[in-house]
Amino acid sequence: MTFAKSLESVLIPLGAILFALVLFGLFCAFAGANPVEVYHSIYRAAFGQWSSWQNTLIRASPLMLSALCTALPARLGLVVIGNEGALVLGGLGAIIAGLSLGESLPPWGVQTAMALLGMVFGGVWIALVGFLRHYRGVNETISSLLMNYIAIALLNHLVEGPMRDPSSLNKPSTFPLAVLNRLPDLPGTRIHYGLIYGLVACILAYILIQRTPFGFAARTTGGNIRAAQMAGLPVGRLILIICFLAGSCAGLAGMVEVAAVHGRANQSLNVGYGYGGILVAFVARHNPLAAALVSVLLGGILASGGILQRVHDLPDATVLVFQGLVFLVVLFSESLYQKEGV
Amino acid sequence: MTQALGWWGVPLAIAAGTLRGSIPFLFVSLGECLTEKSGKINLGLEGVLLTGAMSAYAVSYLTQEQLGSFFAPWCGVLVAALAGMALGIIQGWLCQQPRVNDVAVGIAMIIFGSGIAFFFGKPFIQPVAPRLIAFEWGNWSNLPQVQAALKVSPLFLLGALLAPLMQWFFTATRWGLLIRAVGDSPQAARAMGISVFKVRMLSIMAGSALAGIGGASLSLYYPGSWNELISSGQGLMAVALVIFAHWNPIQCFYASLLFGGSQSLGPALQSVGIDSYYYLFNAAPYILTLLIMILTCSPKTTIPGTPGALGKDNTP
Amino acid sequence: MMTPPPNLEIVHLSKHFGPLVALDHVSLRIKPGTFHALLGENGAGKSTLVKCVMGYYHPDRGDIVINGQSRTIDSPRRAHQYGVGMVYQHFTSIPAMTVAENLVLARYDRKNWLNWPQEYEALAAFLETTPFRVPLDVPVSQLAAGEKQKLEILKQLYLQSRLLILDEPTSVLTPQEADEVLGLLHQAVERGELSVLLITHKFREVTAFADEVTVLRRGAVAGQGKVADLGVADLAVMMLGEAKPPKVLNKTPWLEGETILELQDLHVLKDNGLEAVRGVSLRVGRGEIVAIAGVSGNGQKELVEVLAGQRSATGGRVTIQGQVYHATRREMLDYGVVALPEEPLRNACVPHFSVAENMALRTFDRPPQTRWGVWLILKAMRERAQELIQGFKVKTPSPETPMEQLSGGNIQRAVLARELSSPQIQLLIAANPCFGLDFAAVDYIHEQIVAARNRGVGVLLVSEDLDELLSLGDRILVISEGRLVYESPISEADLLQIGQAMAGHDHVHPQGQ
Repeated sequence: MTFAKSLESVLIPLGAILFALVLFGLFCAFAGANPVEVYHSIYRAAFGQWSSWQNTLIRASPLMLSALCTALPARLGLVVIGNEGALVLGGLGAIIAGLSLGESLPPWGVQTAMALLGMVFGGVWIALVGFLRHYRGVNETISSLLMNYIAIALLNHLVEGPMRDPSSLNKPSTFPLAVLNRLPDLPGTRIHYGLIYGLVACILAYILIQRTPFGFAARTTGGNIRAAQMAGLPVGRLILIICFLAGSCAGLAGMVEVAAVHGRANQSLNVGYGYGGILVAFVARHNPLAAALVSVLLGGILASGGILQRVHDLPDATVLVFQGLVFLVVLFSESLYQKEGV
Repeated sequence: MTQALGWWGVPLAIAAGTLRGSIPFLFVSLGECLTEKSGKINLGLEGVLLTGAMSAYAVSYLTQEQLGSFFAPWCGVLVAALAGMALGIIQGWLCQQPRVNDVAVGIAMIIFGSGIAFFFGKPFIQPVAPRLIAFEWGNWSNLPQVQAALKVSPLFLLGALLAPLMQWFFTATRWGLLIRAVGDSPQAARAMGISVFKVRMLSIMAGSALAGIGGASLSLYYPGSWNELISSGQGLMAVALVIFAHWNPIQCFYASLLFGGSQSLGPALQSVGIDSYYYLFNAAPYILTLLIMILTCSPKTTIPGTPGALGKDNTP
Repeated sequence: MMTPPPNLEIVHLSKHFGPLVALDHVSLRIKPGTFHALLGENGAGKSTLVKCVMGYYHPDRGDIVINGQSRTIDSPRRAHQYGVGMVYQHFTSIPAMTVAENLVLARYDRKNWLNWPQEYEALAAFLETTPFRVPLDVPVSQLAAGEKQKLEILKQLYLQSRLLILDEPTSVLTPQEADEVLGLLHQAVERGELSVLLITHKFREVTAFADEVTVLRRGAVAGQGKVADLGVADLAVMMLGEAKPPKVLNKTPWLEGETILELQDLHVLKDNGLEAVRGVSLRVGRGEIVAIAGVSGNGQKELVEVLAGQRSATGGRVTIQGQVYHATRREMLDYGVVALPEEPLRNACVPHFSVAENMALRTFDRPPQTRWGVWLILKAMRERAQELIQGFKVKTPSPETPMEQLSGGNIQRAVLARELSSPQIQLLIAANPCFGLDFAAVDYIHEQIVAARNRGVGVLLVSEDLDELLSLGDRILVISEGRLVYESPISEADLLQIGQAMAGHDHVHPQGQ
């Protein structure tokens, strides 16, 4: 990688985010808020002090895991956006494991079982997308989107029917997880262990893609499937494995949300970490390490949603508008690179 | 009455639901069909649908004093089309930049479009706006189910007319030929001196305007209110629907009826007391779409009718 | 009656691209009713010249004089106004649309509503005035190559072009189709209805059809005159400069050896679900080059894709040394199967990967490039690439340069290096390996293929270039409409029969073993 190229790969995304901030400022001004004050509020709410950092990092961990659900298949040239569905399924898997094991195992055993079942549920869900793509030619973007809706319907069906805790009135939910089995916080903070899961997953994903023959084969397939076929690479198997891994990351995000945040499975599982993860993956150009960083940024923006509403009287959809702007500008910035980059 | 009709209520309820529920599918799929004929996929129609629904409702509410409750919703429909067109300009420009993937732009436009819709739509969730008047052709009957099944929205008729019109447009007008040429072989079109950028831009804008009208039908006809959950993914399913319809506008019409009908399955069964699988029946359109795609797609061959350059990279 | 063809004079035309002189004071005149050939090698400036005439390029100096008046041509549309139209090398019709729709679309008028019965009547009447017969209501994708080429010419006639510029129109046709199309044009020229400027590098077409010829070499006119006054030898000297000795390939005499590759009743579908390969059986022996000729689109692409692992067969068997072959990575390594496809950047490389990474595609998952099966050793990849770059004389700034930045010839050299350096190769699948490459690269690649054959590698060579097949092959087969319809040892090959077989005329020579 030449110097100009590495400079470009830092400057262009940075410039894109700055430009999106400017556009967002104009939007806020148009909506009657002072842009400079809005920026300041976002900064304060996201990174201003230790407690806001903690809020940011709590939101960053499911984003990291969810982003991998898009970033990993992207290296194969697939646009998978089934993050929400895999996350919901992962949450369901986790609660099923957690409730059925009860207190028959020590907490770490239950937590491991929850994580594993969540990962298997999410993994199989996205592997199905990969299977349909490779063996039936079904467009993976559309099938994964449809499966989001199906997963949410399944969640609604279960929490309002067979798995419903009759005492959950306003918000139908499953029975709660035993307090003992909930994922603890890092010592001295409000941040749960999910952050460690997210960081480790991003680092492992990076190593897998960049430094192993498996990752090399995957990148070859994504770069030119015809060349990969000519080299005899097992394209179908690569797609299935990568999609399974991608889905299991999102599934783990669902497990983290269930085991550390909500303590039960309900509608709150689908609060936008799915779309957020897609955004993170694209902004990070599908690089897992960059995804960890971008997740912290987006986590901060999500954490500031409440402040915008309270202080500036902006609707909570403001954050959504901002995400959309960042996404659009980042996509445009792709056209500024000298050569194919991803 | 449901009791009196018994199980006969189910097909009637499905018929009524089909007429109502197929309208957004019809407009969005015709819009997507027009866009894809020019060789671009617009996944962002979901965002357009929401923006259309919000702007139509807001305009209908705000203009009711001046225009009266008959014309105000039609003014809303018009504004929804214009709002869709505005989003179409962003989509059309961005997805034609070098190395920019149209599917990715579509996802971004879903987020942006729904953001815009929710942002500006917040004040309009509570108020009640005048809705579009429907033709009531079932008043001869005293059964409400029959009346409902024969209640037809003018937008449905408009869409049903638009489908054959678009088919004619593609085969018998110069503009239609241009769009098909650009969608099938942009290189050849360019060699003929056709501006591929312009043709695609206009197709995407027109397609988005149609999707905007589809959104207006959601908020001004059925379900006839504005809230953030009003769309259930019709904008996304349109992409699958167009594949199922082999890029033929008339088949888009039939497919829309099928999808609209499948959407009314859950409520129809609930009306006769089957509600233990309500949520799963509500997922019927998604499951149906997925099944259709699994059955129609093949890894070895392309589907007949696929525009030759659909979803291919932008060549500068 | 029709307007007469224009009188076109090109006077001292020059065009530079940066430091490169593409055209250097080129002059030529096409009198009304003449068939003029523009002869030259790839890169001699033929395309640049006609692109200046058609208004795609603006010449730096010189004049274009039409019917005695100097004209500025700034777009193909302007050229059409003066009666000049171009028939492109690549078909410019829309595959999914019918012939009639394509003709109507090509028209420059602004008629927005089409009355099809009326249009069909007018088009049929127009076809009557031309020597070409093409069905109007058939989608272009279903036409044969010859018919597509006729449609391209028809489009220009339909636009009232009276001077047709044809850019290597016969490169995708069978010899018979080419003769028919050029013959019909020749007759129209003789009747005074048309002028033709034919861009070509085939001497035969010049001597058979053209009245006058201009030869370009390195952007300048190397000779001009009446074809009747010039011989092929003169033309060759003009085109190539100093007489170039034909390249001698050192082929060792071929001995019947064991069978490497055997296809039995192979059936393959193409993308649209129709059968592209319909029951092909053949064998390739050790140290043998089996050459497959055919007009493109007759199943050879799909056949090669099956062997290269890019497509699966729907019926029949592929065996290598008697073992069934599915084109898995394991089998490719064990049986020593390598491939040299056309357009290597599209078929055999990852464009944004570095040269070193591309060169490792066959070896990255084995020691020394992978340790313990899970860890890539990037240094080993780089060292291997450096060896190959030197050994096969690949011109690249460094092993880290992205493949897409190399020239076409060097990309194919890099692929050749990767494929032929594999251990114990037994079978090489080559498909148009020299398509679009310069002479030096072509010679090098031919040498390497023959050298591999001399070492005992079985080679299946598919090409659209008959000369290439005849000079390299030991045995020649012809594929037409998915079937092998001709087979002969190279020494007994009959050009006429090969041409007829390519055109799909009856089974000339029942395929016998």
